[in-house]
Amino acid sequence: MIEKGYGLTRGKKIRNGITSVVLNLIMLIFSLSCIFPLVWMFYSSLKIKREFNADVMSLPSNPTFSNYQKILTNTDYHIGESIMNSVRTTVISVLLIVAFGFIIGYFLARVKFKGSKIIWIMLLMGMLIPIHSLLVPIYVVFNQTKLSNQWFTLMIPYVAFGMPIAVFLVQGFVKEVPTALEEAASIDGCSFSGTLFRVILPICRPVLITVAILQTFSCWNEFSFALVLIKETRLQTVPLAMTQFTGQFSSDYPKIMAAMLITMAPIVVLYFAFSKHIIKGMVAGAVKG
Amino acid sequence: MLSKRPKASTIIAYLAIPLLLYIFAVFIPLVTSLFYSFFEWKGGPNKTFIGVTNYKTLLNDDVFWLSFGHNIYLVLICLIGQVGLAFIFVMIINTRFVRLKGVHRTFGFFPSTVSAVSIGFIWTMIYDSRRGMLNWALTQMGMEDKTQVWLNNSELVMTLVSIPLIWQYIGYYMIILLSATSAIDKEILESAELDGASSFQKAIHVVLPMIKNTVAVCIVLCVSGNMKAFDNIYVMTSGGPHNASMVMAMYGYQISFAQQNMGYGSAISVGIFVLGIAVVGGMQLIQRWISRDEVG
Repeated sequence: MIEKGYGLTRGKKIRNGITSVVLNLIMLIFSLSCIFPLVWMFYSSLKIKREFNADVMSLPSNPTFSNYQKILTNTDYHIGESIMNSVRTTVISVLLIVAFGFIIGYFLARVKFKGSKIIWIMLLMGMLIPIHSLLVPIYVVFNQTKLSNQWFTLMIPYVAFGMPIAVFLVQGFVKEVPTALEEAASIDGCSFSGTLFRVILPICRPVLITVAILQTFSCWNEFSFALVLIKETRLQTVPLAMTQFTGQFSSDYPKIMAAMLITMAPIVVLYFAFSKHIIKGMVAGAVKG
Repeated sequence: MLSKRPKASTIIAYLAIPLLLYIFAVFIPLVTSLFYSFFEWKGGPNKTFIGVTNYKTLLNDDVFWLSFGHNIYLVLICLIGQVGLAFIFVMIINTRFVRLKGVHRTFGFFPSTVSAVSIGFIWTMIYDSRRGMLNWALTQMGMEDKTQVWLNNSELVMTLVSIPLIWQYIGYYMIILLSATSAIDKEILESAELDGASSFQKAIHVVLPMIKNTVAVCIVLCVSGNMKAFDNIYVMTSGGPHNASMVMAMYGYQISFAQQNMGYGSAISVGIFVLGIAVVGGMQLIQRWISRDEVG
């Protein structure tokens, strides 16, 4: 913007200067506070316990990666294993949410059939239900059906809880697409399924990416259902493994920080590489959902 | 709608699996919890039907209502802290003085992508009495007498657990509100300025009415988000000391899993369900009422 310094009195200029400094300072403090814990954890994780306990804020005098080495080489900590579990759970859940969300969303937007109203209401209820009222009963149901403590256990609730928002986003998107495309494909002899996957799917790419971004973060970060449904250490996801790890090493902060940074790394890298896309996707999901 | 409808078998083939999965994970548990809430059941093979006794206990359970109060406290303090502060930051960012807007967006949004468990750990380390940043800062400023075991202070603990929540999500609401204000015509703001409106007046009388729908969305998100507070409370205090930071989900978890009282835990789940629907549903009615004149 063009500075309108021209014609301003000196007093006003000084006042503008002060306002500018104050406002920039407020925002800088806020922004830095959001990043600072990451920085603090990083340089502290390069210290050894004794050095950290002597001074919690100072920079490491002898930076060492020994904490990282120990965590990555010692399989008793289950950190690497938990990352693999989280990656598997997140990837498969997100793919299923995108697929199911796409299919149901398309049907609700385009196809008139008995029961569509009921499906709509069911999904709407799913969005309103306070998720933690399901925590105890889902444990009971999964225990009785022997579905807890399996490699696929967590995918069931994650896919189910992610579905409503995915359906609504896709449905809203498809409604804006003219039906002429599908009619034309149908006249050309394209089957229903062919039209769905070869014509509609590519058009829906942006909204499906939004869904995938939203769900990747929520599946990766989910804790409470993992807590009640997974009891076996070898199946733990990252948040669970972290609670175990911190309980075990509650006095060794640098080690905890190193473990946290390792488990946060995938999400941090993903975020800073695609922050524009991710921010846009999460906001679209929040506002339309 | 399509003019040519696919066959019923095609519809069923596509929809059956996702819907069955959804019903299994959402509705079956709901019905189950309703069923078991009428039983005395300690998790073992024996269950005794006791009618509405669990609900009578629930209505008189001080800890449950205390937890509900804490949820409401979190909702209120986060409405002010998250949405309120976010709105102020948006007004600041939108002035012509502020540089590095992109940096503020990227950095500010970052905490909301981190798991609540990690955020909880980070703040536990900050509050730690011997190795924490907070006591370190107080000591540096010569206020050593103010240092304490923060999370053991039952009067402060709710405020202390809400600070990480607020901090984590300010950026999130800031971005949502920013995207709404970017749609406002610059000329309207400039003409308000020429009319001699102060920046405070501009914020309240010009900007706020134009983004009220988005603000309403933020309020609903904030309310429903804080009604389900669990992860960081579990990590930071587990509801302690002496239930001073207990929230509903944490209480249900403790009764059901620490005390193995599944019957009463189910009744609490139903309680969480009813209160959650009441609060969030009520909020949504208010939201619809706010955005009502837009259409008319």
